[in-house]
Amino acid sequence: MATTSPPAQGRGTSSLVRDLRAALGPRNVLDAPEDLIAYEYDATIERALPDVVVFPGTTEQVAACVRIALAHDVPVVPRGSGTGLSGGAVPVRGGVLVVLTRMNRILEVHAGDRVAVVQPGVINLHLQEALAPLGLVYAPDPSSQRVCTIGGNIANNSGGPHTLAHGSTVNHVLALEVVLPDGRITRLGSRVPDAPGVDLRGLFVGSEGTLGIVTEATLRLVRQQPAVRTLLAIFETVEAASNAVSDTIRRGVIPVAMEMLDQEIIRIVEPRIQAGYPLDAGAALLIEVEGVAEGVALDAEVVEAACLAAGAREVRSAEEASERERLWEGRKAAIGAIGGAAPAFYLLDGVVPRTKLPQVMGRVLDLSREYGFRCANVFHAGDGNLHPNIMFDPTEPGATERVLALAEEIMRACVDAGGSITGEHGVGLEKRSYMEWVFNEQDLDAQRAVRDAFGGADRFNPCKMLPGGHGCASGHASEVSRRLQPGTYV
Amino acid sequence: MTSRATSDPALGPLRQALDGRWERDPQDYPVEGVTPRAAFAPEGRAEVAALLGAATGAGLVVVPQAGRTALALGAPLQAYDVALDLRGLSRVVEYVPDDLTVTVEAGMTLGALQAELGAHGQHLPIDPSPDDSVSIGGMLATARSGAWRGHFPAARDLVLGIEAAQPSGALVKSGGRVVKNVTGYDLHRMHTGALGAFGVIVEATFKVAPLPVSTRTMAARADSLADAARLAQRAWDASLSTRAITLLAPEPAAHVGLPSATAVLVDLAGSNASVERSAAELVALGAFQEAPPEAWAYLRRLQGEQAATVLRMGVPPSAIAEFIEAGRAAGALAWGHLASGAVICHADALDATVIAGLRAQAEARGGFLQVESAPVAVRRAVGAGGAGDGVLVAALRDRFDPSRILNRGRWPEPARAGGDA
Repeated sequence: MATTSPPAQGRGTSSLVRDLRAALGPRNVLDAPEDLIAYEYDATIERALPDVVVFPGTTEQVAACVRIALAHDVPVVPRGSGTGLSGGAVPVRGGVLVVLTRMNRILEVHAGDRVAVVQPGVINLHLQEALAPLGLVYAPDPSSQRVCTIGGNIANNSGGPHTLAHGSTVNHVLALEVVLPDGRITRLGSRVPDAPGVDLRGLFVGSEGTLGIVTEATLRLVRQQPAVRTLLAIFETVEAASNAVSDTIRRGVIPVAMEMLDQEIIRIVEPRIQAGYPLDAGAALLIEVEGVAEGVALDAEVVEAACLAAGAREVRSAEEASERERLWEGRKAAIGAIGGAAPAFYLLDGVVPRTKLPQVMGRVLDLSREYGFRCANVFHAGDGNLHPNIMFDPTEPGATERVLALAEEIMRACVDAGGSITGEHGVGLEKRSYMEWVFNEQDLDAQRAVRDAFGGADRFNPCKMLPGGHGCASGHASEVSRRLQPGTYV
Repeated sequence: MTSRATSDPALGPLRQALDGRWERDPQDYPVEGVTPRAAFAPEGRAEVAALLGAATGAGLVVVPQAGRTALALGAPLQAYDVALDLRGLSRVVEYVPDDLTVTVEAGMTLGALQAELGAHGQHLPIDPSPDDSVSIGGMLATARSGAWRGHFPAARDLVLGIEAAQPSGALVKSGGRVVKNVTGYDLHRMHTGALGAFGVIVEATFKVAPLPVSTRTMAARADSLADAARLAQRAWDASLSTRAITLLAPEPAAHVGLPSATAVLVDLAGSNASVERSAAELVALGAFQEAPPEAWAYLRRLQGEQAATVLRMGVPPSAIAEFIEAGRAAGALAWGHLASGAVICHADALDATVIAGLRAQAEARGGFLQVESAPVAVRRAVGAGGAGDGVLVAALRDRFDPSRILNRGRWPEPARAGGDA
């Protein structure tokens, strides 16, 4: 089915570099070993050296890089800021690493139509900052938004706390200009939503750089809401807080965000950030409601009642922007704070039906105790999207292997509860072998057919998302031996 | 059973694949004036897959259908051998109200699903034309939205996962039953809006929403469409509890029970407090008054009228008044939904050259025009209106439906497979 090519290492590199320099200019092509080392990893510590790193500045240059790589029969791997959490930008079979950070211009904002057109290297937060004075928001807000790029968000169909109300990135991408694996430039989707035809835009978003490279994106914007209220509910247990999530929704209110912090993470983050989370709390829920002022007041009452009914000992409400920001600061800095509390930690991403949260969280904590690791949880409870952080010391013999075994059991628990292996971080390298837990061989064959139809099979971001593949390591443990560092985000 | 159907040797493999009790009278399934050679109405997903596998083997073109509400949409069929009636696949597979998710078979009507959900104070927040008689599979295959689009998500954003029967005879799943999921390629998005190009949707899982406690319809007259557009934009920018903001030319306004004048029609939905406050803000913005909520159902029915010629243009919201005016100048009832930029034109008949002119205007503004219903000759003349990158679509179809047994002709492929261009 797929055309196969041998691994690229050590073959034809110099003429490859010469051709790339001719197309991009010498300053935009790196091949010195000391330069390549900076691009051998993303936010995981999975490592592999590219043969060459390129920084195209235009769509045509991206297309030229792809065509040159094709002519030299080497893999292509796209990369934004390198904040990915599944190894998606790691060039495991070498080749040309296409870094899109130079393409970082906001090309157009049309406030009346609520549309922005941007290049892929635009930082998520920079777009938000440009939109704020116009009263507009680009809804996807991954916690890495200070550094992650829109192109990377599109590749991973990124989420964030506000996905609960607004949906993931795919709901906010109207159209894309992309360079396909054969170097052809095409447009997918339409500036106006719901154009007739096959939704190749929807298929492309979340394809983890395996179907092509985004060179321009037309995004849907939403308006800032007139009123916003942030609530912090304090519980004795994670189970009680989980029940409050379901009970709120049962009462007909869907907040824009419902974030959970467990005791372990509160004790790590509060001394460092002073967000105001009580140190003796068993769990905290950070809940945000927004909309028309009167509606927000009513929704906040419903949320408070649901939390109290589920056993909350206290519900605080913040309306002032500064107060709300302080509550959020603790949430947003949480993962970074873990880096200061343990020599290493492994961040997981799983998703379960919301009503299975109490059961699965109980299992996560039990398993962590059984394996003897501290586990801090900070996650998107409203979406059932878990993020256990397993803390460990990688210098301790066997610790990394035991962490991986624990992680696998936690993923298994998510799947067994009717959930899936990733809610927002992507499959990447990390979870390729788990795909078979969720999909049967026929399902996977259909996905391989998509990859094949786009022409990316085995050469475009190889060894990502789908299990198998020519020249790819087969085992999970061999691909995942990693820890996260301070400054990693969920 | 007609004698033609029973004696047709080409149908042998299909009859072998399916129990005889699923066979129906093909006379009951005409499309575009053509009666198929056979019709089947299986009640199980495996039977649907088996039928497709057998049809691929026999080279027979299958046209899936259930509600039969959108059979005049897209380019005309090039062949029609077998009707696949999916109404028998009408079960709720799993519904967990507290998860806000529901899994249903594709032949179920939207109305039946809404009744199930309504019993738990929930609904699927979508209002496709002509009404809730659309089947779930048809709604997804046509990706039809209504006035709520832009305020609420579209079908493509509400669907969390799909099971599709493939022309190969396989049943293939994608996505899942969780509301946030990035596991694998979103094949369900590929199927949504594809008019059956890659498979027959047999089951779908949706994210559902609480029913609004309160709804209210408000309307304001305007002196011109340009004035109406300014008022509508102000209402949209005020971030009220709206689920539709629609501009109507005087003719459709009269049709739906409003005074015969240019109008802005707003649908409010939410808690009592939000709706009250929003209504008060509308009154402060312009001369909004309470209006008959039935107007919405009228507009849906008009858009879904298969005996008429109906066009759906998509244009930037800032250009909506201009395109309503253009539709009006062409002699159509014309109205538009601001947030999605959808402009609907409804007429007894429209000339193909007029439609082509409107399409060119819309495309020049980054938009599109889809013929939602028109006589076969008109649809043949104007085509489907863009199926996306033709090379990629053909490459996908080569892998999912290499013999083009599904809805052949709906997406013309100029250089191959019959050459409808």
